[in-house]
Amino acid sequence: MLSKELVAASTVPLVLSVLTQGESYGYELIQRVRELSGGRIEWTEGMLYPVLHWMEEEELIESEWREAETGRKRKYYRLRKDGRKALHEEKQQWLSVHDTLTKLWNTYPRST
Amino acid sequence: MEHVSPFDLNTALRLWLEQLGQSPQVKAENLKELESHVCDSVTRLQTKGLSSEESFLVATHRVGSPAKLEPEFAKVNRNPLNKILHGLILIIFSVGCWLLWAILHLPVMMGVAMHGRTPPAFTQFVVGCGAYLAAPPLLAAGYCLYVWTRKPGRENSWVGFFATTMALLFFTTLPTLIAILLPIIQFMNLATPK
Repeated sequence: MLSKELVAASTVPLVLSVLTQGESYGYELIQRVRELSGGRIEWTEGMLYPVLHWMEEEELIESEWREAETGRKRKYYRLRKDGRKALHEEKQQWLSVHDTLTKLWNTYPRST
Repeated sequence: MEHVSPFDLNTALRLWLEQLGQSPQVKAENLKELESHVCDSVTRLQTKGLSSEESFLVATHRVGSPAKLEPEFAKVNRNPLNKILHGLILIIFSVGCWLLWAILHLPVMMGVAMHGRTPPAFTQFVVGCGAYLAAPPLLAAGYCLYVWTRKPGRENSWVGFFATTMALLFFTTLPTLIAILLPIIQFMNLATPK
């Protein structure tokens, strides 16, 4: 399981990345991340919604209420242009951290 | 024998939403979305063999307690009171500045009453500066516009705005009062029969 801090820091890039694959709704986003992480990334599910609303205010994503196949109404989120830009920046930053750690762990494998 | 009432999912969901909705930080739209989430979660858990009661308990537990959710929603759902208070402070400050500007016309009127005698130098200086009294309310209005149109999560407290405007009003009132008192004293000295 990932630490709470890391889960919080990775929420925005994870949501943006899932939404690059197409529009989605809160519950589906959580399921997708849980599935992809093999259960290692566990969100307190309700906490995702304030983040989604913040991302909407920041114009990274947009939403629309629509009727689902079950007949219930769901709020669907999709990526906006600024969201794609933000994702590109996030990607660069996370890859920088990943590269640095990989180099360090390859240079000093015994310390890990 | 004790009578156990059957679990009703809709009632349980309604009660849970009512409890969550008691917080002013959680808006109706947030509740609607959380309801949709719990329903999806319950449906999924039921397909795994859980009863509707078990599914509901697991689904609501996963969503998180109201105590945990409230502060998170508060970050994105702005309190309109802060905006209203900024507006009220702006009105009070603008009226205060206008009153000071109006008061500063008294020495001029008194100068006329004193048959064209020039008021004291300090009064003349403060009256001259009176024209600039329009600037602080304009700046305050600009700041309020910025606060009203700002994105959520970065709320500016009204307390700081109140303290700044009231301090400015206080320090402007002091020289204004002195400036109008000086010609009054001068006028009274002249009016007193020797």
